[in-house]
Amino acid sequence: MERGQLIRAMESILGTEGVVHEREQLRSYECDGLMNYRVIPDLVVLPETAEHVQRIVRTCYEEGIPFVARGSGTGLSGGALPVESGVLIVLSRMRKILEVDIPNQRIVVEPGVINIWVSQEVAGEGYYYAPDPASQIVSSIGGNLAENSGGVHCLKYGFTTNHVMGAEVVLADGSIVHIGGGKAPDAPGYELLGALVGSEGTLGIATKITLRLLRKPEAVRTLLAAFEDTEAAGDAVSAIIGGGIVPAAIEMMDALCIEAVETAVHPGFPEAEAILIVELDGPEAEAEDQFQRTIEACEEANASEIRIAEDDAERALFWKGRKAAFAAMGRISNDYYVQDSVVPRTELGAVLKRINQLGEEYGMRVANVFHAGDGNLHPLVLYDNDNPGEAEKAEKLAGDIVLTCLEHGGSLTGEHGIGEDKKKYMPKMFTDDDMATMQLLRCAFDPHNLCNPGKIFPTPRLCGERPGPFRMHPVQKAGLAENF
Amino acid sequence: MTEQDRPDPRQSGNRYDATSAAERRDDQSGTTREQAMAGAIGAGNPQDVGQSTFAATTDSLQHTMGKDRPESGSYTFPAFDSHHPPEKDLIDDCVHCGFCLPTCPTYVLFGEEMDSPRGRIYLMNKGLTEEPMNDTMVRHWDLCLGCMACVTACPSGVQYDKLIEATRAQVERRYERRADDKAFREMIFQLFPYRSRLRLAAGPLRLYQRFGIGDKLKKAGVMSRLPARMRAMEALMPKLQKEEKIPEHTSPTGERRRRVGVLTGCVQQVFFSQVNSATVRVLAAEGCEVVAPKSQGCCGALSTHAGREEESLNFARKTIDTFERENLDNVIVNAAGCGSTMKEYAYLLRDDPEYAERAKRFSAKVKDVSEFLQEIGTVAERHPLPVAAAYHDACHLAHQQGVRQQPRKTLKQIPGMEVKEITEAEVCCGSAGIYNMVEPEPAAELGERKAKNVLKTGAQMIVTSNPGCMLQIQASLKKMGREIPMAHPAEVLDASIRGEPVETLLDGRGLQG
Amino acid sequence: METRTKNVSLEDLQEIVGEEYAREAAPEDAVDGVAPAFVVEPGSIEETSGLMRLATDKGLTVAPRGGGTKMGWGNPPRELDLILSTTRMNEVIEHVPGDQVVRAQAGLNLEALQERLGRSDQMLAIDPPEKGAGATVGGVVSANSSGPRRYRYGTVRDLIIGITVVLPDGTVAKAGGKVVKNVAGYDLGKLFTGSLGTLGVLATCNFRLHPRPEAARTVAVELNDTLAAGQAAQALMHSQVFASALELHWSEDARLLTVLIEGISKGVDAQVETASYLLKGFGEVRTLSDEEADHLGPLTPPGTGDEVAIKIAHPPAELTGVLDSALGAAERRGVIPRITGHAGAGVTYVALSGGDEEARAQVVEELREIWVRRGGSVVVRQAPVPVKKRLDAWGPTGDYLGLTRRVKEKFDPRGILNPGRFLGGI
Repeated sequence: MERGQLIRAMESILGTEGVVHEREQLRSYECDGLMNYRVIPDLVVLPETAEHVQRIVRTCYEEGIPFVARGSGTGLSGGALPVESGVLIVLSRMRKILEVDIPNQRIVVEPGVINIWVSQEVAGEGYYYAPDPASQIVSSIGGNLAENSGGVHCLKYGFTTNHVMGAEVVLADGSIVHIGGGKAPDAPGYELLGALVGSEGTLGIATKITLRLLRKPEAVRTLLAAFEDTEAAGDAVSAIIGGGIVPAAIEMMDALCIEAVETAVHPGFPEAEAILIVELDGPEAEAEDQFQRTIEACEEANASEIRIAEDDAERALFWKGRKAAFAAMGRISNDYYVQDSVVPRTELGAVLKRINQLGEEYGMRVANVFHAGDGNLHPLVLYDNDNPGEAEKAEKLAGDIVLTCLEHGGSLTGEHGIGEDKKKYMPKMFTDDDMATMQLLRCAFDPHNLCNPGKIFPTPRLCGERPGPFRMHPVQKAGLAENF
Repeated sequence: MTEQDRPDPRQSGNRYDATSAAERRDDQSGTTREQAMAGAIGAGNPQDVGQSTFAATTDSLQHTMGKDRPESGSYTFPAFDSHHPPEKDLIDDCVHCGFCLPTCPTYVLFGEEMDSPRGRIYLMNKGLTEEPMNDTMVRHWDLCLGCMACVTACPSGVQYDKLIEATRAQVERRYERRADDKAFREMIFQLFPYRSRLRLAAGPLRLYQRFGIGDKLKKAGVMSRLPARMRAMEALMPKLQKEEKIPEHTSPTGERRRRVGVLTGCVQQVFFSQVNSATVRVLAAEGCEVVAPKSQGCCGALSTHAGREEESLNFARKTIDTFERENLDNVIVNAAGCGSTMKEYAYLLRDDPEYAERAKRFSAKVKDVSEFLQEIGTVAERHPLPVAAAYHDACHLAHQQGVRQQPRKTLKQIPGMEVKEITEAEVCCGSAGIYNMVEPEPAAELGERKAKNVLKTGAQMIVTSNPGCMLQIQASLKKMGREIPMAHPAEVLDASIRGEPVETLLDGRGLQG
Repeated sequence: METRTKNVSLEDLQEIVGEEYAREAAPEDAVDGVAPAFVVEPGSIEETSGLMRLATDKGLTVAPRGGGTKMGWGNPPRELDLILSTTRMNEVIEHVPGDQVVRAQAGLNLEALQERLGRSDQMLAIDPPEKGAGATVGGVVSANSSGPRRYRYGTVRDLIIGITVVLPDGTVAKAGGKVVKNVAGYDLGKLFTGSLGTLGVLATCNFRLHPRPEAARTVAVELNDTLAAGQAAQALMHSQVFASALELHWSEDARLLTVLIEGISKGVDAQVETASYLLKGFGEVRTLSDEEADHLGPLTPPGTGDEVAIKIAHPPAELTGVLDSALGAAERRGVIPRITGHAGAGVTYVALSGGDEEARAQVVEELREIWVRRGGSVVVRQAPVPVKKRLDAWGPTGDYLGLTRRVKEKFDPRGILNPGRFLGGI
């Protein structure tokens, strides 16, 4: 199908207002939250209903055109990077909250609904939606589902995958399936929902999502502790968790990060080499007891200052500083390269030390802001793109950091996803057999490799079987894949 | 529901909850996270940012695809010339995080990347090197309301205000609008900045009937789009009140604490002269000697925001000239859009060797009236005004000048006054300078959205610091068959200081004609 | 006479696992009456891989088995040549208490694992009823078995963070890792959870752990009727009481809703008080002694002998309706129901005795008719083979059956793993 025909076909589904095809407009969609990779899509479509999505996908399927789904475009791994000669399906107009079911502690939403809207919708009932990625004020539930987003509070309450209970999904052939029980648990059959969440848009497009709502905890206690060095802060983390406490969140920021955040949002953090923000919640007596033990742990780790949030305003201020951390980097550096590796908690100290060494070896600044409780690091390699060669150097340093984390038994990514950005590191974490096995799942969902092709796996392989006369697959043609 | 009439869950049986709803609502603990999140993008509360599931109508969506839009086919490459293109350094501050999206009115309406600040900045960047300036690029820049909610939201400190103004100046210079579009815009700029013309136009007869503008435009090749614009303009026009004359010089009550100038403005003086006289009275009551130079004219805000660079600079120079002569401690502004532009003179005139330094000194003296009053502290006695008022943040006050708390404080200092917050406070009402005239459909949808949120507060009146917002919200309410009295904070304060009954603020204060 | 099945002899198997670890099957190795030819017990992943390669080559059908506590789950196999027992692979591979993570071989006895973790005051928060009967880690994962504490900690899918599996063709593959937070690659750990050994053989499983609570108390309310059961459960669910379990026991002897509260003793006391207050409107409230609480639950079916035991998964707010429908359907047919359930999670087990097989089957059919339509499911957990054959263990499935089949075809293209036991004839 020629591009002109495709545009007309899409317009017949969506009306002219749902199809973006002018070159200049398309350019604004050439990257998501990660600007390092850019591809101009053939066209962008903006469906408003599940039926729209289904018809779009079916058209793509019949014509063998690859497609990529996108929510708010805040992903940090290039997961929503368009594919060449492909269609970008933007779900930002599917933003209805379809049903609130407090008795069953569920809410049903469309994929374009913004994460924070969910909590707002049920706040009056004393409920909230637990996963809170730093981007929660922008990022969509559909995108959260694709990436299995975490957040600062996932240490205690789990990730998106623990809170998505059901989904209506448009598969690559345009068929619709409903997976997961939704309101009832334990749907018979394979745990397809668990496989779908976090599959980075490669298995289908969720058009209706059932989420679990949690009752707000009775008490919340938050403290901020300052330390003379990161190791002491790390000790405090180990002591807290080792003491059998599961805090709602433990976040760590280093000196560079504190500086950036102070410039951006002025939370009034103390000057220190490292800051911990610890939040405990739950029943009053329990939260209070654990809070006292947390304070003791910080004192024993020689905290230079401990501030206790006296009220919600002060608590909000602590978190404001933390949540603005990434974006605030723009204040101290023109460019930065962020990683998302995870290490076992007990390896934190050693890994942080090694990262500092690496920074010194490369002569580059590395800022650290991370989820200390679950060992999820976000080292930010600061550089200036205007200095020739620096970008490459930064990427190499970031790569060395990733490898260090893997050597310590960690993972490539804790919440940002592999996407386009980290797929080159996949063979460092997984064997060919591991990846081929994962591809089996892909082939069951999307045998023709049309759904967000080229992501996650370094050399995506096709699934062999193709009905009808053989045609060169577009992805194959582009040299992006080989036959499997 | 009170505790009494709430059925006991253990008796009625079908209630899912055994704790009191009131108790749950008061329990803010779980919302701290959301508040923090909102705080991270500069909003006071998560409720302040765009959140409802409202989507634009098909009509309005088609607008973004260029429906009814006079396309000229104009094509210029590269998009920008070397005279103040949007600065690369400022563009590079954008890390593409997208935190601006939910506060951007057009993104909230259309859900499209190119109608978001992030997308517009991206297009500017492309314009610097790779893409031409053509109908498509200009359409998406035009659709920006310039509300600057994104500036507040941006954690990276991107100065979108400077970027869009530079872009608009380039558009006005380098892009050839179609004749009808051009004529309409020209008409606006030949009308609004000039009091005498406005007075004529806003007389008892409808604007275009009186002026015969409709006919003129038809001759100039009026297309289907124009009537929509004219209708929008007409709907906005308030009834012309008897214009209150502002004395050139007013002595302070009691000891003189400051000598200040007052910008009486163009639209403000013609349509809302009572705001000006209230401002002067309040300032005098608070110990200020007030000067309102007769020779002053438009501050240039409308032109600046539309990218009419030369025109705006001339207005700026003239305004500086006028006030400089008076040897003032401060220049007080009661219209949000004007204040933000006057604070920006230093930047606007940075290339003018004669004016650069003077503009810097001038801008430093400019204060919004609430901002100023909170700075100098109160001396005049406040009399009670028992009324619940919804305070609406004018974008150019809240986002551009960062003045949020001062007007609220000013109102809360009045005994008996209850200040209600409006949901989605960060989202523009759609007025945005001339926006509701040149882009009527999206503006109307935003206006309606704002009006609904205002009604939800249950307030008896609306207080806001910008004439454009007043017109827009009132017109939207009227369309919904509702009417709520409106006032400027200075008027409310004036009534309180003078000990007038609250009815003076509530009766007959609907603005529309 | 030498047993050969599909041209495979005992020696062929012994060659891979050693002489002691392959034997001819005994009558008790039969699965729902289908007798296998051999039982093998590989001692390593390599041996497991070798066995699977052989099975694929020769077309041997295989049923993986752990403690053998759930072999009656699912439909009777279409055919069965080989039982592959994982019980020799029973090591804790790694447990670093500071990381609150454990890596275990699939054949490890769950209780043995808990005992080991307990030494560090930690636990794997999975407490299925068969935990004391020899259930293994791999079996619990494969069957997605759960217990009362799922209310607080979730089920296997929420706790599993990595797996190593052996595919039918002998490929050894891993997914996930040993860190709790990890989104690299597809989450095959979840896919294999509850797959009932139809996709591959689990070799190792990694889990996140939780600290063992210092104190625990159980509050119970005597229920007068099913309405009170539903209301009491809702009152608890929507309160701020942070319970570990919310269990229903409904039989001739007892009609109780119990709330298990765990944590530090001071906190537990305060919460017990709140819970008691919330519950007292629904019936007499008492605190159970540890002994009584232990005795009570979980007395989950499968029951005994020829009972038909089903698991109804339903929206939790419909508890009263579930009870009414189950009690009503049973009563009308002279069948005696025994009911337990995870009231907060929306899982209700019903064990049916009395009446004839036909009557019991009809009860199940009626409940399916109601609860499948209302978004739930009714799965037969245990039943005499003829009843199971008539009913199908899984019941009607949704529009995802085609996708489910494609997943099976990709992982097990020759269909040698547990053929027929899973839903839709998989």
